[in-house]
Order: sequence, then structure tokens, then C-alpha cells
Amino acid sequence: MRDYFLKFWEGLYTIMIGMKVTFRHLFVPSVTIQYPTVKPQLPERERNRLYVNMDDCIGCDQCSRACPVSCIEIETVKSTPGDDLGKTSNGKKKALWVTKFDIDFAKCCYCELCVPPCPTDCIYMTDVYEFSEFERDSLLYDFATLTQEEREIKKKNFKEFQVKKEAEKAAAAKKAAEAKAAAQKEKPNAKTDKPTDDKKGTD
Amino acid sequence: MEIYDIIFYLFAAITLLSAFFVVTSRNIVHAAFYLLFTFFGVTGIYVLLGADFVAIVQLIVYVGGILILLIFGVMITNKITQVDIKTGTVHTLPAAIGVGLFTGIVGAVILNTEWRIVDSPMPVATLSTLGEMLLTEYVLIFELLGILLLVALIGAASMARK
Amino acid sequence: MIYEWLYNITGSSILSMFVVSLLPLFVFILPFALLAVLAERKVSAHMQDRLGPMRVGYHGILQTVADIIKLLQKEDLVPAATDKKLFNFAPLLVFAGSYAVFAAIPFSSIFIGSQIQLGIIYIVAVTGLVVAGILMAGWASNNKYSLLGAMRSAAQIISYEIPTLLIILTIIMITGTLSLYTLSELQTSYFWNWMILGGPATGLQKILYIPLMIIGCLVIYISTLAEVNRTPFDIPEAESELVSGYHTEYSGMKFAMFFLAEYANMFAVSAIVAIIFFGGYQSPFGYLGNAIGLHWLVPIEQFFWFTAKGLFFVFVQMWLRWTLPRFRVDQLMAFCWKYLIPISFVILLLAGLISLI
Repeated sequence: MRDYFLKFWEGLYTIMIGMKVTFRHLFVPSVTIQYPTVKPQLPERERNRLYVNMDDCIGCDQCSRACPVSCIEIETVKSTPGDDLGKTSNGKKKALWVTKFDIDFAKCCYCELCVPPCPTDCIYMTDVYEFSEFERDSLLYDFATLTQEEREIKKKNFKEFQVKKEAEKAAAAKKAAEAKAAAQKEKPNAKTDKPTDDKKGTD
Repeated sequence: MEIYDIIFYLFAAITLLSAFFVVTSRNIVHAAFYLLFTFFGVTGIYVLLGADFVAIVQLIVYVGGILILLIFGVMITNKITQVDIKTGTVHTLPAAIGVGLFTGIVGAVILNTEWRIVDSPMPVATLSTLGEMLLTEYVLIFELLGILLLVALIGAASMARK
Repeated sequence: MIYEWLYNITGSSILSMFVVSLLPLFVFILPFALLAVLAERKVSAHMQDRLGPMRVGYHGILQTVADIIKLLQKEDLVPAATDKKLFNFAPLLVFAGSYAVFAAIPFSSIFIGSQIQLGIIYIVAVTGLVVAGILMAGWASNNKYSLLGAMRSAAQIISYEIPTLLIILTIIMITGTLSLYTLSELQTSYFWNWMILGGPATGLQKILYIPLMIIGCLVIYISTLAEVNRTPFDIPEAESELVSGYHTEYSGMKFAMFFLAEYANMFAVSAIVAIIFFGGYQSPFGYLGNAIGLHWLVPIEQFFWFTAKGLFFVFVQMWLRWTLPRFRVDQLMAFCWKYLIPISFVILLLAGLISLI
């Protein structure tokens, strides 16, 4: 009998304690942040959208190789001798035209593995995290600074340059072959070099 | 026709129609729910007759208690909808004779009685008179009913424990 | 009385009856439901250190309006395997049952749907319709969760009706009236005349009544809380077990009717507790209208006090909801049959003895 009443009293008493706790919480300032208007403080090393500073990029493809999900695609074209590509901020000379630097943020897993390998620190994480899109294609970011025509021009330049070089090479090889042939006539015992020379000429 | 007449006919229609459906419905659950409206209509008629306490007791006991138990019972039975309720007609001739006789007698009684139409005053609360009558004039019956219900309760409890 | 006033103006008993019967719905239940849904969300949010709805209107004031517009626009979806007739009728029955309660509740000395002599018992009786409606909804949905929820709900309401009725019986025995209007009038003028403080009795009797009334008030509050299926007694619609119980299959306006019925019920039971134990529409400190000689102010003050008391108990319901976890089914039954009913029987007996002094 005593137990019965004790139980009853205990139930009532503990309910009162619980109600006291909840009542106190009614006046505790809320922890909710009204997100779009009030933005939460991000941690110092948060990882969000990547950014590539193309002024510094030397087109070394290191980041693309480091990416575990292959979301970075880089294409480069060698510069021709007359081009001035400028220098990176840490003094490296650029030697490649970057004709394509695409990052697909639909694939990106924000692992930051692409950032450490970069020799010029040109790829890094920004604090932008609101970049949702209605179409998946819009998440494909093109960082290359050259315009489409410029890219074509650079490619064409390089091709022309290559052709020219080839021609030069061929001419040089011809010359060398002629010279060799002339030398061979003088020194018939130097036969061992001949196959290698031939290869060089055809290359 | 006054508003009370309209209400009376409304309740009467509810009672009769739902009672009809209780009998003819092929689905037990539907029948049980139609019974709800029958009880409800009867309650309304009690109210219009000035028997307020009876009306409310009708609502508490029949709708709140018995009907709910009934629905529980129906729902707990297996195969609620597939049960074949036999509503086919058998023994048509004897039934027709019986019903005819009954209708005749009732009709005769209704037609031959001299109904006295009295302008009844606005019904007053019956509760206190009812209570006094229960505890003075009918106290024995009241107590006996109490004992009967108690016995039924104890019996049900002891049966449930087995 | 509003009815007589309207009758004098319009001269038509049907019209004035109609208006009076619709008055609680439009003057009270709908605005209350709008407010209570928002209050529920706000109270629950703040008790969990959140903010709740904030976007629609200033601090989300118009959130429920937006919700209602959404519910109105929704397609009236009836699942294929339901029992269509019962499925469509159940929300009406539930709402009718909970709305009928308001006919007997005195909002103010001039604002009562009906001055019915059997007020309290009438309220208990029409609650039976709600049970039938819930069972109907559960069965017609043809869904195991709905049926389980309805079964639990019916069992719970029927069980908890017993302590409620016993406490009401105690009050009837002490005051000798079943009319909620007379009951409110008995507890007139000051708060020491409230039933919780012994009511209009005097001397030793009053002192002896006080502990009984406090326990009785607790019992009736708990059991009416169980009757309206609120947490911690919300096993009929336990979200984590039964999706949402008997209204799982309902959507759109039919769901809104259940919802409205639930909130109307919440206020109805709070109002019953307020009327029985806390003086109903009576002010605790006397009336300003009487003091400054403006007698038309008194009914308005009474309405204010009545709503204030009712809303306070609704707030306590919300408060309890965010304090206590849900009961298990067996605990629920044990609590009712082993604790509430014996206690209310003892109260009934003791109150009877005391009233003989």
C-alpha cells in the first residue's frame, strides 16, 4: 500500500521535474540559424568549391592526376618560341598554353587531394558552397582563360610550328645524311653507326 | 409545420432508414455502423419527447458502450467481408401471414384509438424527479439491477481470467 | 443570451438557431485551431531550443494559413481498397462529435450554445460519437496501421472515460448540478470560490475538500488528456509505430477535418477542466465592468477569462507533450485501471462522506 502511493508520488514528482526542465528551455535562446539570411561561421579549413588561378597555372596536369574521381580535365599546347606566356607569381616560366581546364563539380568529392601537388599553388578551395544548379551541365566549370578562337589559334600555331620544325628537321636530317654519305665514302670502315643514323633520319 | 416537426421527421427518417439498412446490409461492419445511426436517431426522438436524461443515457450506453463493443467484436472476427449473411427469403408464406396479421393488428389499434392531442408545455429537466423516484419508489428494483450488473461483471471477470 | 438577442433582431427562430449553432465554429474553433497549430509548433520548437516556422509572415504567424490553403488545394485522394462510404463519412462523424461538445460549453454568461441541464453528461455522451468515427476511419482505411490505431484509440478512450466520469460524478454530488452554466455560476466572484479550492462550501468542509479536489483535478486532467489522444497518451497515432494511426490514409480536407477535430477536442477538454475546477468564465478577481459601472463589459471579460484559462490548459498539454515520452499500451491500461480508477473511486467516496458533514 505504501509502495503504491510512493510510486504515484514519484511519478508525479518526476513529471514536475521534467516539466521544470522543458519550461526552462522555453526561454533558452534558440540554436537555430536562419540560414540564407544568417550564414554559419565556416571552419578555417573548410573544403568547398575549387578555384584555379589561371595566371599561375603552368598546365602541369598534376592536379588532374591526383584527382581520385577524375573530375579535372586539362589539355595543353606547347608554346611556340615567339610566344610570351609570362611568369607565375613564384617565378616559374610558363611553357604551355592551357587550352582546356575543366572541373566537373558534379563529380568532385571535395577531397582537396588536387591542392597539395600543385607546384604553383594555383588551385585551391574557396568558401563558396552555394552553387547548386538546375542542370548537371552547368556544374562543368571551364577555368581556361583563353577564348575559343585563341585556343584554336594556339593549336594551329603549334601545328604549324611542328610542321615547320619537322620540315627543318627533315632538311637537317637530309643534310646530315648527305654529309654522312659523303663521309662514308671517305671512311668505309665506319659502318656500325649507319643503322642508327638511318633511324634518326626517318623519325 | 414547425421546426420541431421537421427535426422529428428527420430523426425518424434517420432511425427507420438506418434500421432498414442494418437488416439488409450484406457487410457486417456496415450493419454495425448503421446501427450507430439508429441509436442516434432514437436519441434525437427521446430529446424531442422531453426525455433528456434517457436520451443522453441512450447515447452513453448504446453509442459509447455497446456499439463500440459490438464493432470491436465484429472487427475481431475473422473474414468480416466474406461472411455469407443469409438474407435470402425462406418460408415466405408463413412469414407473410404473420407480418400481415401483425400489421393488421397494429394498424387497427392505431386507427381505432382515440388519440388525445395535448399541447405539451416546453419539456422541463427530468433529472431530479427521476433521481428521487429511483431512490424512493423504485429503490428495490434499482438495487436489484445494481446487484445483477455486479454479478454479471464478476462473472465476466472470472471468465476472462480462465 | 445571444439566441434571444438574435431572435429579437431577426424574428426567425430557425435563422437565429442556425447562427447560434455556427457561432462557436467561426468565432472560436477555427481561429483557435489556426492559433493552436502555430502555438504548438512554436512551443515545441522553443522547448527544443529551435525557432519553429519563421518564414511566412512575421515569425511565421501566417504559417497555418498557408498550410490550410495547401490542404484546400490538395487532391481528394481515396485509396482504391478502402470502404468508400465509411471512409468518406468518418471525418464528418469525428468532427461532428467534437463540435457537438461546444454546444454545451459556456464561453461567457451570455454565450452558450444551449443551456442544457445535463451539460457535463452530454459532453461525455457525444464523445462516444468520436470513438465511433475513429473506429470507422480505422476500419474503412483498409490499412493495418489505421486499424491498429483505431483499436488502440477506442480502447483508450473507453477506459479513460471511467475516471473522468467518476470525478465528474464527485463534482455533481458536491454541487448538485449537471449544468455547466450553473456550475460556473456557483464558482462566482473570487478564486477561492473555485472548485479546486473547495468551491462554495464553507468552514471545515472547504478545507477537507481542497486536497480531494486537487487530486481530482489531476486525475481528470490526465484522463481527458488520454481521451484526446495527446502525448504521452498518443499511442493511437504513435508516429514511430503506426505512421499516423487512424488518419494515415487521409489527405487534403478530410485530414484537415481530423486535425480540426483534434484541436477542437484539445480545447474542449481544457475547457471542461477549467469549468469544473477553475471557475469557468468567472474572473478570479471580480470584474472591471462592475467596478466602473459598465455592465456590458462583463460578458466580454468573462469570455476573456474563459479563453485564457482554456488556453492555459492547452499550453500545459503542449508542455507535457514535449516533456514526457509515450506510454506503452500495457502501461497505459495499467495506469488507468490500477491508479486512476481506484483513486477516483476513493475521491468519490470521501467527497460523499465530507458532504454529509
